[in-house]
Amino acid sequence: MAKEQTATLDDLKQVQKTVQTLLPTLRPAVVAIQTGDGTASGVIINDEGLILTAAHVAEKPGRELVVVMDDGSRTRGLTLGLDKTTDAALMQLKDRTKKWPHVKVSREVIKAQPGLWCIALGHPGGFDPKRGVVLRVGRVIKQTANSLQTDCVLMGGDSGGPLFNLRGEVIGIHSQIWEDRDHNMHVSMAPFLRAWDDMKSSQVIRIWGTGSGGYLGIHIGSPDAAIVEVQQVQAKSAAHESGLRVGDRIESLDQEPVLSVAQFQNAVRLRPPGTAITLKIRRQQEVREISVTLGKLPKEDEG
Amino acid sequence: MKPLHLIALLLACTPALAEMHAPLTPEQRTNGIGTLAAVDSLTRQLKATVALIIGDKDRPIATATWVGEDGYFLTKASDTPLLEKAKIRISDKQTAAIREIHRHVGLDLVLAQAVGVAGMKPIRFESKPQTTAYGQWLTSPAKAGREIKIGVVSAQRRHIPGDGAAIGVRMDQKPVQGGGVRVEGIAEDSPAAVAGLKKDDILLELAGEKLSQFQRVHEIIRQRQPGELVEVKCRRGVIHLTLQVRLASRSKILQNWEGEDFANGGISIRTDNFPQVIQHDIPLSPLDMGSPLLDLAGTPIGINIARVDRVTTFALPAEIFWKEIQPLIEADRHPPKALKP
Repeated sequence: MAKEQTATLDDLKQVQKTVQTLLPTLRPAVVAIQTGDGTASGVIINDEGLILTAAHVAEKPGRELVVVMDDGSRTRGLTLGLDKTTDAALMQLKDRTKKWPHVKVSREVIKAQPGLWCIALGHPGGFDPKRGVVLRVGRVIKQTANSLQTDCVLMGGDSGGPLFNLRGEVIGIHSQIWEDRDHNMHVSMAPFLRAWDDMKSSQVIRIWGTGSGGYLGIHIGSPDAAIVEVQQVQAKSAAHESGLRVGDRIESLDQEPVLSVAQFQNAVRLRPPGTAITLKIRRQQEVREISVTLGKLPKEDEG
Repeated sequence: MKPLHLIALLLACTPALAEMHAPLTPEQRTNGIGTLAAVDSLTRQLKATVALIIGDKDRPIATATWVGEDGYFLTKASDTPLLEKAKIRISDKQTAAIREIHRHVGLDLVLAQAVGVAGMKPIRFESKPQTTAYGQWLTSPAKAGREIKIGVVSAQRRHIPGDGAAIGVRMDQKPVQGGGVRVEGIAEDSPAAVAGLKKDDILLELAGEKLSQFQRVHEIIRQRQPGELVEVKCRRGVIHLTLQVRLASRSKILQNWEGEDFANGGISIRTDNFPQVIQHDIPLSPLDMGSPLLDLAGTPIGINIARVDRVTTFALPAEIFWKEIQPLIEADRHPPKALKP
């Protein structure tokens, strides 16, 4: 694991070179958003002007907000749907005649692992043409199902701004801070990818069962384990109804090989409840396929 | 323009679901020992270039950067108003008295000398312009050289206009019978709060002038610079008090009025009115101001001058101050001798 090693001067120089090469291509896609009573950030992810931001910036669908581009020019955007449980939201720039500068979204949520170098951009305190966008370089500290924690220090006004990996892909959206310097939280791409269509059609997600993704109802041990073996099956869960049993080893999900507990959990959560999946399992010497319709996180676990 | 978005959301804590990989320990983070191993050779070199300035009751005030082997140093002027009453810690066992040579209010720097010392390891600043670009790694000693920290250039170089000084009190607009102005509110961590002023105190005198109208307080403060000491006489019930208030930048007070300071370790007294700054994201505290800023090759770039908010630290580029400071050192070393007729 790279994170266990000590860094060398060449490592740092390589990070600097990558950051400086990427920055001119990332900057034009980062915007400031004026919310009426405050200021926030966002990032454009296609040439039609679709913007990722935070739900507490958008607040509700259908709000028309002023968006300030990197060069200081102003335009208008409309808030689309949002996921109040994870703080993810979409916006659409109103001017559809332009080809907007944009960046790519990382679809491999699982790869934003602790130790990864990352770049935070945003407009803390509001847009300032003399200062420009504010850059922070740091590392992913922690990944959970829907969020990332980094040591890229954020503050008010950064909300909704992008966190990038060193390939220049968006891996997070700035969401919240605790007082501690290393406690900067970002929405990961999981809630966006999972509820993309709902959010694009201006729906508001309020319930953890939907917001937190699909749910099987099995215990499969520590996230670092390479073998996914069912250790417990919850009564009346989706897994229980499909016939999954304690001791079953899960080898693939929808034909994709399962390589670790973390990867498997992530793949399940990326799919909304109600999705039918096919698991290839090994039960003693026998290999068989089981179809499961993913459920929702049970009520007692809800936030 | 109140930047409260992030803070407002803290109410909506979401339960953490199962984690993927183990989180990074503090040692594995950007400023953990694992990453800092990359700049190990600089760490030893930079340790001896700074010293702590110690005030009353051994309280640390600011960081000094040595600029001469014979004990000349630079530090942040607005954090060291009574510099000659302070001491400088040369080593764990040794402190030295301080002789102030020149106070440059425009740059917020003071040049001084530790009395009777030799063999310091100075930073060799240069007047020739150094370019810095977004994303360039920088390093600074922190905690008077006990640690070293890294970060990047995080914004464009620019001039920071001044917004004047402030004291941090809100006053009753109605005059008080028998003279004075009543304090209605005090900003958290403001000069007034630090000096010990309280709500309902009656301000009687400010900088030697008797008060009867609240506007006069603003007028008197506005003529002064952040970092200056102002004497306040006030009445609390039947008790009369005389307090020394050290003024701060107005922008600092406005930003901090609600007490929502997530800056970790607070921010500097003076945060604006600089001819040019380099903005970086090295995790420093106000006490680290006055320390040098270098690139990873060890070339001096500037001096850290203000901790502004959670994400912002300003440094003065060397080319801005060295051409003014260097002649002062030379003149002090070789004072002109009176010509004999």
